[in-house]
Amino acid sequence: MITLTNTPVLTTKRLTLRVPEPQDAPAFIQFYSTDRSQFTGGPMTARQAWNFFATELGHWVINGFGMFTVTRHDDDTALGIVGHWYPNTWPEKEIGWVLFDPAHEGQGIAFEAAQACITHAYETLNWDTIVSYIAPQNTASIALATRLGAHLDTDATPVPGAKPCNVYRHAGPKTASLIEKNPPRRADQPHAGGLQ
Amino acid sequence: MTSLNIPVIETKRLSLRGPAAEDYPNFKATFASYRSRFMGGPLNPYEAWMLYAAEMGHWDIRGFGMWMIHDKDTDETYGMAGGWQPAGWPEREIAWIIWPDKAGKGFALEATNAVRKHYYANGWDTAVSYLDPKNLDSIRLAERLGAKKDADAPSIDGSDAVYRHPSPAQLDDTQLAHGIEMEIGHYADPKFTPKGWALD
Repeated sequence: MITLTNTPVLTTKRLTLRVPEPQDAPAFIQFYSTDRSQFTGGPMTARQAWNFFATELGHWVINGFGMFTVTRHDDDTALGIVGHWYPNTWPEKEIGWVLFDPAHEGQGIAFEAAQACITHAYETLNWDTIVSYIAPQNTASIALATRLGAHLDTDATPVPGAKPCNVYRHAGPKTASLIEKNPPRRADQPHAGGLQ
Repeated sequence: MTSLNIPVIETKRLSLRGPAAEDYPNFKATFASYRSRFMGGPLNPYEAWMLYAAEMGHWDIRGFGMWMIHDKDTDETYGMAGGWQPAGWPEREIAWIIWPDKAGKGFALEATNAVRKHYYANGWDTAVSYLDPKNLDSIRLAERLGAKKDADAPSIDGSDAVYRHPSPAQLDDTQLAHGIEMEIGHYADPKFTPKGWALD
């Protein structure tokens, strides 16, 4: 079997973050067929989404890091993908997040997964700084970035491309560990849009 | 380090290995060029990188994929060849692309013949190549590999021609197989100068 080797698994209180595997493709493709994917490159055809899923895997080979599939500990169902993203035309390394199904929103899943990825980026990958590129209309992701301690960085270069995006810069390595020990209280009301 | 355990294939002149990060500039140059017009290109830098990563991910999803063709001695890359079946492909395809300035030396023939042998030795009993009817170099290569147009086989989207490769039995110590080996042998001979247009 040809498969990715030497990839990390991150574990949080409720979640397991592992490298995407072929069985996650249908959920990924389904997500990218919907308007829910509008802020993360979609919507796109099933063929395009299959290629994009293959790109997610190849990203690991090229960069040595990439997006994780998020699952619960006792259930391997892919809830979404969260992790590190750095196509070689991008200005900076990003933390990105996608929850496939709106039913999984409002439970802090993306927050918990993104937080683990931030820690991993600083402590294991030895990154100095992290951004998230977020469309200005994507209010749910802006709220999540803010909750993670990120702030709008108007001096940073956005991703080149037709669609506008803002750069949110996450707290640096020292501040991030403080946020994790004392996470800000999460708003409990469900979000207006999708966490993308 | 994260990697894919892709097997290595060696031929007389070539070493076929899984695509690696350091081989990307050559891939990008070809996919930015008119050479890639029958393979979905030309692509901008972002699209080229996404496709290159997808070439790798294809291996993980399907268990087969495209190799990077290296010169066995110098390690220089010449192109890619292998198996390809993204979403929407009716069957498993044998595909190839040679960098524009490396055409005409028989590298595609030598690499493609080797990958077909590899897949036939690993359970494939047939293979096709989906070719643009205007891609005469590739049609000619398919014919040199013994493939024949299969009018009954489903195509990807109706605008491509399906060439069916000879079966494992048709390549088992047959005149066809010997002829292919002989042509590859000619190309591998440093004194051999192919006549006519530079073909893959």
